[in-house]
Amino acid sequence: MTTGDIPGVPERPPRRLRLPTVNGRLAGKAAIGAVLVAYSWVAGGTTPFTRNSLLIVLVPGAVLGVIAYGRPVQRIPPPDRLDLTGSSYWILAIAALFEWEASAFRDFTNTWHPPLSNLVTPALGVHPLKTVAVLMWLLAGWGLARR
Amino acid sequence: MIYRVITVIGFAGVIAVLFTLEYLGRRKNSTIPTLGEFLGYAMRPRAGRLLILLGWLWLGWHFFSR
Repeated sequence: MTTGDIPGVPERPPRRLRLPTVNGRLAGKAAIGAVLVAYSWVAGGTTPFTRNSLLIVLVPGAVLGVIAYGRPVQRIPPPDRLDLTGSSYWILAIAALFEWEASAFRDFTNTWHPPLSNLVTPALGVHPLKTVAVLMWLLAGWGLARR
Repeated sequence: MIYRVITVIGFAGVIAVLFTLEYLGRRKNSTIPTLGEFLGYAMRPRAGRLLILLGWLWLGWHFFSR
């Protein structure tokens, strides 16, 4: 017997799991942010060249792949056209970065022309810094999935 | 040693240019797109979308897995 069977007592709507805040949307974002920070912290503690360090990259990649292709989120509409001159600045700057990195790989002399990855490796050895870097990478991926 | 410093300055210079472009792109009536707009435009075709997402995945693997 439910309350709906008693005359004059309206049946209660089914309970839903709600986060205890005034603004549910804000709470949802806070929960996602907490999960991302926790994941980044765990990822920041992994050692390079191990299975775990590979998994911490592949798992978000798989999730993002599913989101990007299987369950697309509400996307930010791309511009219909771009200014050619303005875009060329981006192309040149990104090409310069890749050229500088590629020439470092070609020479492969850590003493006089190290690649960017070698330069940042000491910083990524510090757990909090790697955590921040992983978090930025995850947020960049989310930003790309929305494009 | 001086070559190493030049290399570091080169990387820092290019990264500074990228940030400057983003700043300039965010100004009102700017003809320079923001990085998001630029990538969004490049991601319109399915192949462009796949390539850029793979590039993001490669960055993560390159810096965090190896």
